[in-house]
Amino acid sequence: MHRNRWLLLVVALTVLSLAAVGCGGDDDDDGAAADETGATDTGATEPAAEQVLRIAWGAEPPSLDPGKATDTTSSNVILALMDPLVKLDPDTLEPEPSAADSWEVDENVVTFHLNQDATWTNGDPVTAQDYVYSWKRTLSPELAADYAYQLYGVKGAAEYNGCEKDCEALADEVAVTAVDDYTLQVELTSEQPWFLGQVSHHSFLPVHQATVEEFGDNWTDPENIVTNGPFMLESWDHEASINMVKNPDYRDAANVSLERIDGPIIVDGITRVQAFEAGEVDALDGAGLPPEEIERLKTEPYYDQYPSLGTYYYGFNIENIGLEQRKAMSLAINRKIITDQIDRTGRAQATGMTPPGVKGFDVINPNSPWLPAEGDMTQAQELMGQAQDAKTKINLFHNDAPGHKEIAVAVQSMWQELGIETTIKAQEWAQYLEFLGPPPNKAVDAYRLGWIYDFPDAINGLELFTCDSGNNNTNWCNEEYDALVEEAKQTVDDDARYEIYRQLEGIMFDEDGDVPLTPIMWYTFPNLEQDSVRDTFYINPLDQIDFTKVVVAGG
Amino acid sequence: MAAFIIRRVVWTIPVILLVIFMIFMMMRQIEGNPFRRTERAVPPQVEANLERKFNLDEPVYMQYLLYVKGVFTFDLGPSLTQTDRSVTDIVKEHFPRSLKLGLLAFMWAILFGIPAGVIAALRPNTLYDYILMLFSNIGFALPAFFVATLFIYYFAVKASLVPTNGWPLGFWEVDSRVLLPSLALALYPMAYFARLVRGTMLETMQQDYVRTARAKGLRWKSIVTRHVFRNSLIPVVTATAPLFGLVITGTFVIEVIFSIPGIGRYFINSVSARDYSVVMGITVLTSLVVIFLNLVVDIAYGFLDPRTRTSR
Repeated sequence: MHRNRWLLLVVALTVLSLAAVGCGGDDDDDGAAADETGATDTGATEPAAEQVLRIAWGAEPPSLDPGKATDTTSSNVILALMDPLVKLDPDTLEPEPSAADSWEVDENVVTFHLNQDATWTNGDPVTAQDYVYSWKRTLSPELAADYAYQLYGVKGAAEYNGCEKDCEALADEVAVTAVDDYTLQVELTSEQPWFLGQVSHHSFLPVHQATVEEFGDNWTDPENIVTNGPFMLESWDHEASINMVKNPDYRDAANVSLERIDGPIIVDGITRVQAFEAGEVDALDGAGLPPEEIERLKTEPYYDQYPSLGTYYYGFNIENIGLEQRKAMSLAINRKIITDQIDRTGRAQATGMTPPGVKGFDVINPNSPWLPAEGDMTQAQELMGQAQDAKTKINLFHNDAPGHKEIAVAVQSMWQELGIETTIKAQEWAQYLEFLGPPPNKAVDAYRLGWIYDFPDAINGLELFTCDSGNNNTNWCNEEYDALVEEAKQTVDDDARYEIYRQLEGIMFDEDGDVPLTPIMWYTFPNLEQDSVRDTFYINPLDQIDFTKVVVAGG
Repeated sequence: MAAFIIRRVVWTIPVILLVIFMIFMMMRQIEGNPFRRTERAVPPQVEANLERKFNLDEPVYMQYLLYVKGVFTFDLGPSLTQTDRSVTDIVKEHFPRSLKLGLLAFMWAILFGIPAGVIAALRPNTLYDYILMLFSNIGFALPAFFVATLFIYYFAVKASLVPTNGWPLGFWEVDSRVLLPSLALALYPMAYFARLVRGTMLETMQQDYVRTARAKGLRWKSIVTRHVFRNSLIPVVTATAPLFGLVITGTFVIEVIFSIPGIGRYFINSVSARDYSVVMGITVLTSLVVIFLNLVVDIAYGFLDPRTRTSR
């Protein structure tokens, strides 16, 4: 009797607790199917017979409309579907021809000569008029594009975008014109040496007028969309997957290996890693790895990391924290501990605002005495002692995304050695941005932010700290600095401009600098890639993936 | 009964209006700019354009009235962040997936939870009881995200029995990918049902009518099925509506972990993105679901307990 009872119990419990195993065992067709597609990871150099890249997208793209998209995932999908006028060389970030065969720059007028073989996926030729239409559409107040300001460098653009009524006349004033079908002329508000590089941004891509006008907001649905790039949108299941196939009529199709890009959308970082390690995808899209997994993943052969044009910094509210104290707090931070023991994604300790990879870095970098890699506690304490009306109870704010708290705690303990009692306060992102202003809430003494560059010129990061900048949350305002920023914008000669950038860095970080912020580290993109694509998969410092270059290696 | 149902349906209208009003006011109270998504400052002209486009430049009461009008004409407005789609598109596409996940989880909960409760109640204070209740305690205590991650690690990554993530998109489509997420989500309601059924069954068995039934010589099996079990189901049915509401809205964590393109994810993301129209749309929809379930429960009482039928 007793034995029977036990038996019954075991059966009941098996049913209850192991239902997943029992049911899962005989129904794993999908797992098997996933293993069959794509290439093996043996690291052979011959291209695989099946050129399929399976990539995990880190987010649902909010929009595949070049005029409306603002985030990295959207940007990477759009750049696979569309053909930018110029692309950036992966190493030098210099513009190279893409949809534009060539261009001329005459002071503030840029003339692009378009490739005449380029067609839309419905067979229409891609013409200069398409660009004129698209840029003006992005600037139109009715579209209300977030990134309309990317085009503000074009003469008349900001005025048109800010128009409230009777905007037709202002639309005509926007200085982008089609000289003929294949010649596009752009007049800029000033000579902007970075403009050519900026044109590689997705905001400058053309859209197909007839399609946009016919379908409105739904023109990006797979059944409606018309594109002109190396790949075509096959399907877009929202929050589930984005699949693309090669465009056989792309002007440079002969140089595109991939036949398909299959992309499940996996938002959760841990799930992304698990999908990769189960062999369900060949690569991740650089959207980041869970901080708690970094240490383990770094030792795996499939771990990769790319330098990024981005700076992680702590800003000071200079109305609360005096100069001597700012210098002391900057000096007290041991950046090496933060990068090597806390962050651990191979980020470099910052020695200035402008990150390496930006053109002219060697000239621009101030190698600031206030940003030594391992800090200088002795000097910091000395300075703190000299500081008049030092504030010894401060609030340090950060947004509540993973990883920031750990760094804040480390900095808190470093500042404690200066006799500063730091209260760390985390806020949810949208609230945080409101709180920082500008001007920042009075409670803010120090705060964390980062900046990822839109284009590879130092001006993009340095102009954040002008007096009127909407991105200057420090209350710092230096007229000499503002004047130099204006001067840099007028300076076409690279070397001369880099010298000005060096002076700008100097005003902030040289021996007699104002130290309104203290850069902590320069970003990297950590990523996972299987052997089959490792050699050809590349994320550039602006977080762009060029899928035309990817070749799946096979056995 | 028909009058009762009509009355209940009419009552949902003020309830919905109240829900819209409360959520509307709450969303406007929290700080945060729906158009500032990254650290990049938004130029004033861009912000003005966006506010005009989404009627945010109107006075608040006008915004409220416009929205209410939209709801009753089945137009939930454009999403502030998913700019290629309207809220109606989002709800239509993603809600059925969350509903399917919730239904599957509920199915497991009923399939395992209720029998477990019955077995435990029929053999109280025996090893069966202890072990089943231990499992139920564990089900209560373990958070779904933890169980989900363990499930993926053991069944998908280690044993490769099922894929780590993904979801069959059609409503009637079911494959191995539904197993882990629905089981992980089922754990809590399963444990809840087991405990609830055990408790009410034990209580019912103490009732006079059960003693009477035994005294008049009815077979134990028929007492349990006809008197004890049926009467014990009333609290279970009562608990079903809110619990199902909880399961449907609680799919968020599971959806993120298993990459299921359901509506829960939009709910949370749009709160943090201040996407007012999506938050409102999903809230209105969820309230409708809960109101509908409560209605179903009230009708079900009538069948389970004849007294409620006549008294109404």
